[in-house]
Amino acid sequence: MHSTGSDIVSLNAIDVNRTLQFRFYSKILCAAEIARYRETGLSRIPFERYVWLLWSIKESAYKYLQRHHPALVFSPTRCVVTELEMPAEYSMTDDSIITLEDTGFDNQPVFKSTITVGRETLNSRSIVNSRFIFSVVNGDNGFEGTSWGVKLIDDANPGSQSEEVRTFLLAKLKSDFGSNDLQVAKNNHGCPILANGGINIPISLAHHGHWVSYSYQASALPELC
Amino acid sequence: MTKQEILNELKKVIAPYTTNKEMLAGINDQTDLIKDLKINSANLVDIIIDAEAKYDIEIDYDSADKMVNVGTCIDVISEKIKEKNAQHG
Repeated sequence: MHSTGSDIVSLNAIDVNRTLQFRFYSKILCAAEIARYRETGLSRIPFERYVWLLWSIKESAYKYLQRHHPALVFSPTRCVVTELEMPAEYSMTDDSIITLEDTGFDNQPVFKSTITVGRETLNSRSIVNSRFIFSVVNGDNGFEGTSWGVKLIDDANPGSQSEEVRTFLLAKLKSDFGSNDLQVAKNNHGCPILANGGINIPISLAHHGHWVSYSYQASALPELC
Repeated sequence: MTKQEILNELKKVIAPYTTNKEMLAGINDQTDLIKDLKINSANLVDIIIDAEAKYDIEIDYDSADKMVNVGTCIDVISEKIKEKNAQHG
């Protein structure tokens, strides 16, 4: 079963001063990742944004792998971003986005990365602007069939975030497939799924501050709806 | 420090990162930081940094990976305090 892992970071919710302290970022980045920032054109983005970009990629990789290996422990410095490619046209500021949804990333300027976790090699796509960082990871390099969405919400309370992200995803599915019967549930290991009758499709949900996001492999949906 | 003393201080470390104050008041060893206290994973590093400052200890990567619930947090902090005291003793 194809699946995804995704994560979103609200840049308004991070502590920039703390992020810039070695004691903090060295718990997220390994030595090679710290060196890469200083040695390449990646220093065009602020360092705190680089730290949280790598966090979101690593968290997404963990969420992807945890579905297949439920006992996996998240260890940021052992999840290594070995390649990171900046988009050719990268704008650090885009304050106009309230909702963004698409299938694939061909229409977006994205950071592309390769991640290794033990023997696993994964790939990611990330959208980075002045307000959020959104990453999606999967096990191959094809994101053409990956549907995803990002939305700004009013209330950052955890209960509201959880409800909003589910409503956001189900509205998208209803729009695409016209189905009212889909439910967001969790499998036996606590990973989110779309359920309809006996069929379950893996999904990934994330929230942080006033931002929520989802991702899933669209190719699995017709079977469910 | 006793386990209870560490727990009391740990509550203060965790408090800024959870809105679930009722659950925080009644935490036990099994309380999961993310699932039960609804702490965003992005704040886990904050909790480790704050715990290091609170107890004047250093929490290495292997130990930090274990800090997923209240019981493992107390175990790690207790172990690091003992290591610090042994070095200074």
